[in-house]
Amino acid sequence: MKIVINVTVNQKNYELAVEPNMTLVDMLREELRLTGTKKGCGLGECGACTILLDGQPVSSCVMLAVEAHNRKIVTIEGLETEKGLHPIQQAFVEKGAIQCGFCTSGMVLSAKALLDDHPHPDEQDIRKAISGNLCRCTGYQKIVEAVQSVSEGEQTS
Amino acid sequence: MTQYHTINSRAPRIDAPDKASGKAQFIDDLNMSDQLHGAILQSPLAHARIVKIDTSRARKLPGVKAVVTAEDAGLVQYGVSPARYDETLFCHDKVRYIGDEIAAVAAVDRETALAAVSLIDVEYEELPLLLSVEEAMKEGAPLIHEDYPGNICAEVHQEFGDVEAALAECDIVRTDTFMNKMQNCAFLEPQGCIGHYDHRGYLTLYSSTQTPHYVQRTVAMTLKMPIGKVRVVKPYVGGGFGAKASANAMEMVACLLSMKTGKPVKMVFTREQVFLQARGRHKFVHTLTTGAKKDGTVVALKHNCILEGGAYASFGIATVYYAGSLLGGPYKLQHMKYDAYRVYTNKPACGAQRGHGGVIARAAWEQQLDVIAEELGMDPVEFRFKNMMNNGDTSCNDLYMSSFGMRECVEAVRDKSGWERKRGTLPRGKGIGMACGFFVSGAGFPIYRSETFHCTATVKLSEDGGAAHLYTASAEIGQGSDTTFAMITAEALGVPLNAVKVSSGDTDFGVDLGAYSSRQTLMTGFAVKHAAEDAKRQVLEVLADKLRISVSDIDVKDGTVIFKGPGITFRTIRNRYRKEHRGWTDMPDDAPLSFAEAARLAFIVKGTVIGQGEYRPRWLGGKFKGAAVGTSPAYGCSAQVVELRVDMETGQITIDNMTDAHDCGFAINRTSVEGQMQGSLLMGLGEALFEEVKFDQKGRMLNPNFGEYKIPTALDMPNVTPIIVESNEPYGPYGAKEVGEGAIMPTIPAILNALYDATGIRFHELPLTPERVYKAIKEKQCEAKAERGRK
Amino acid sequence: MLIPRFEYHKPSTLKEACEIKGKFKGKAQLLAGGTDIIPNMKKRIILPDSLISLNGISELKSNSVSGKNRCARIGACATVSSLIRGKFLLPYSALLTGLESLGSPLIRNMATIGGNLATARPAADLSPSLIAYKGKAILCSVAGKREVSLDDFFLGPGKTILNDDEILAEIILDELPACTGSGYIKLGTRKALEISLVNVAAVIALEKPDGVIAGARIVMGAVGPIPLRATTAENLLMGEKPSDGLFAEAGKAAAEDSRPIDDFRGSAEYRRDMVRVITVRALQKALHDIR
Repeated sequence: MKIVINVTVNQKNYELAVEPNMTLVDMLREELRLTGTKKGCGLGECGACTILLDGQPVSSCVMLAVEAHNRKIVTIEGLETEKGLHPIQQAFVEKGAIQCGFCTSGMVLSAKALLDDHPHPDEQDIRKAISGNLCRCTGYQKIVEAVQSVSEGEQTS
Repeated sequence: MTQYHTINSRAPRIDAPDKASGKAQFIDDLNMSDQLHGAILQSPLAHARIVKIDTSRARKLPGVKAVVTAEDAGLVQYGVSPARYDETLFCHDKVRYIGDEIAAVAAVDRETALAAVSLIDVEYEELPLLLSVEEAMKEGAPLIHEDYPGNICAEVHQEFGDVEAALAECDIVRTDTFMNKMQNCAFLEPQGCIGHYDHRGYLTLYSSTQTPHYVQRTVAMTLKMPIGKVRVVKPYVGGGFGAKASANAMEMVACLLSMKTGKPVKMVFTREQVFLQARGRHKFVHTLTTGAKKDGTVVALKHNCILEGGAYASFGIATVYYAGSLLGGPYKLQHMKYDAYRVYTNKPACGAQRGHGGVIARAAWEQQLDVIAEELGMDPVEFRFKNMMNNGDTSCNDLYMSSFGMRECVEAVRDKSGWERKRGTLPRGKGIGMACGFFVSGAGFPIYRSETFHCTATVKLSEDGGAAHLYTASAEIGQGSDTTFAMITAEALGVPLNAVKVSSGDTDFGVDLGAYSSRQTLMTGFAVKHAAEDAKRQVLEVLADKLRISVSDIDVKDGTVIFKGPGITFRTIRNRYRKEHRGWTDMPDDAPLSFAEAARLAFIVKGTVIGQGEYRPRWLGGKFKGAAVGTSPAYGCSAQVVELRVDMETGQITIDNMTDAHDCGFAINRTSVEGQMQGSLLMGLGEALFEEVKFDQKGRMLNPNFGEYKIPTALDMPNVTPIIVESNEPYGPYGAKEVGEGAIMPTIPAILNALYDATGIRFHELPLTPERVYKAIKEKQCEAKAERGRK
Repeated sequence: MLIPRFEYHKPSTLKEACEIKGKFKGKAQLLAGGTDIIPNMKKRIILPDSLISLNGISELKSNSVSGKNRCARIGACATVSSLIRGKFLLPYSALLTGLESLGSPLIRNMATIGGNLATARPAADLSPSLIAYKGKAILCSVAGKREVSLDDFFLGPGKTILNDDEILAEIILDELPACTGSGYIKLGTRKALEISLVNVAAVIALEKPDGVIAGARIVMGAVGPIPLRATTAENLLMGEKPSDGLFAEAGKAAAEDSRPIDDFRGSAEYRRDMVRVITVRALQKALHDIR
């Protein structure tokens, strides 16, 4: 039986009826068509489905949609504004931090949560913050450099 | 500064903004109206005869639209190489590994499809399991495929020179055996597809693939369709690394189900299915006997190899050849003998993975060369200088080095890493090691024997003259090929990068063999360059004709027409262009003539300007059996230095520094080249330290997930110092050749050699888990203690 | 991957949750962070008829440091990251290290301390230190509350003393006595996203600064069906002055106390040897923590 939830996604309020066994990632992708959140493993082990839940990055594939009731969610689609890409997104573009792009949404959101809390992290802080987000393409280095460039104020938008 | 306005720069990738913002669409992001969802029944047993398949309960489930088995699919055999087609769409007589496909369902949603699959009843008669090459090669072992006696999928016997005679003349001869474990490519995006058979009888397959071309052929062949009626479209792909380089059963199943139902059918693998589909690195056991002279000259290599292939051939016939032929470089070696067997077992099929066939052989040999260097009292760097090939050399197995920056690579990593300062001075538990690598820049021949062009490219200028549109069937899978080709188009045409649009990954756009064997930059790049030059020539010819000058008096650069002679006036052309574009911003009077104006003129004179290019390698390779595998229009090479730390009490290894130099011929995009190097090193690090697909006694995979199949996290991977070496490859576009796979070659052996420096122990088995390292340290300590006791 | 269907309950009080859990007996499972149960449901290893979400129960999330003995009371549904951020656990270094090495930041933002205990995974990161601190658990049922020592909480892999109608509500840590320190060492393959191959938590108390050891508790994870006390090692330490030699002996004794098995992650032999090594390191950390 479906359950009605109220949830804020990217500052927009939704009232949705969801099956209890629907995961949050499926709700975002299938109900709201926000397909920027990716499904890489289904078991909370790769970070591709990272979203911000009340500001904190979590794996949306191991969270039930019904549990998002009265919570605030930000997905990758919530970062871009009418002015353009978010500085973190811009840094990822400019520093070559994106190859296949499948981990990018999660990486960017984990980086955002870090920078929101610690505007000037050191390299180890950055690596720790993205340690739940697997990337098979880049070797992480250009991702770390991108995050560093934002914290050092190289990026503005 | 280079002479180029676009290439050799660090231009941001053209796909990056869409990927950064979450807008880039991957296969699972696509949905079609009225689509059905498919699910596949996969074998729960590793080796069994199928007695009976009963689909009646599944068919009765509400919401089920079609159930198919081998009866519906037919028994057309397919695979990667026509010489080893050993798969059928569904199993009909027996299953050969846990995961083998038996039947499939299309239903209104995923849940129903999965429920229906669980209602298919299959009666099996279990057969003896062959879970190792030893069991499979044993006299009298049951056959996994009736047509392959001894369960030998493929064997290779090659000899160049006279190895036995040469070894007899050597001052030092050393034999070592080395092995790895089965690997998984572990890309982040699971394979998925949508098959859509439309009312006009055309089949369109959207798929997460590296090779739309081969998939198109395989789908057409198995489903008995004309190739021209099958179109394969590749959306953005979340990594491939080899496992997505051939057609998989899901792709054909989705098409078949769509043909049965008349509706689009979507399927996406779970991560477990990705692991079961496998097709990653084989388990290799290499036995290498190398002979050298006192002065350090490596003379001969006797090489035996056994590959555990799993249940099907996949790329295996190429793998087994590559594992031998790629040791032909980067060293001068006069005598080489190679004997190898690829063996079937009841496990998922192995195939190609970054550095196809060569990675473990390279690891084994580079470590052995270090041992020989040490025994001869030579520095590993000097030893390699002594033996490396140069520009213009040909290996004993007929591989020709048309460009070869090996020396520059070794010098670069030696100097940047502080090798001379650190080597031999680090305390116990810390180590530094180096190794070299070597790889093809595209295979000399397609997988099927054919005289086909390996790629075609089309550059169409927009009729207003302001934009160029490149059509290529090549596959952007994350490596950055779309950007590379956009940059080549911009440079060759003489327009800014932002005037180039790329459409790729669609068999409707031409022929391209796809993203494998590190071929696209050289091969597709060559075709793209020619297509753009063709379009430019057409524009310049019209312009020259109008201005009554010679084509050789004009050039185009960064969007501007450059007149080589003085006093050429183009006012009439500009006025004509302006007249048609009232309301737009015009070029100011004193601005030079733009390419857009010239291209518009060309359209008005002769219609749509379409430039075409194609590429086919020159004839390559020797006359011996298997000469085709390993031939390439060009070869990349690389060198690497690794520094690491070992916790001598627990065996845990921490990689602290990696310095990597790669000769990519010429870097079209410097950032992308570095990205390929850094990513290759990550995969090499993972394979060296952590990665292993494990099985139990029943052939069940124990770790088909990212929790237990451990790829490196951001905390395991150090920063890499990447050094780009440019040797200017004569057969590559602007001198470019590979970087995507060759860069992984030196990583594992450099780690092994550094580990020896740290511990004094040579390891002959991967991965270097803490337990394996700890046990070896403990054994060594026990031996040392016993030694002291004896004294 | 689909989650098999289930009935969803979201009580707003602990009492209500206990009632529901009691009603469904073993067929209901609790949902807190979900990082363990959701993957297990997707893999069809755990197939409950009902899931009872504890995330609407505010009393399960509240933490406090109170009472005359300044004990720390931790709500079972406190997430791992909230406990790291909360600072009030700073004196409990071994627990903090365990919290920080659990999974990944994404997991830590979801996983709860209660979940880490109640799922009773032998390799769990938090139970060794909580046991070493003589932690207590408050278990609630319809009938009322009971306080149990975490020493007695675990029965086997996935099994605890929780009754069908009982819910783990709170964890209580007494204030650490003076001259007490703790350390936790986790051994894994990767540096993140790891399940322990072996882990050890150690708490030692000195009689006085630079005095002899007056209290020692060593708890080992992933080397038995439940977290194990290294009692021989503990006894060996008592009344002795800390020294490298003493710790080495304790490490050997702990290895003897462990009961590891072979599995695909590692051999029993390696695990036993590692207990020896990391027990020494955990003790050194604990000693350092005092100073």
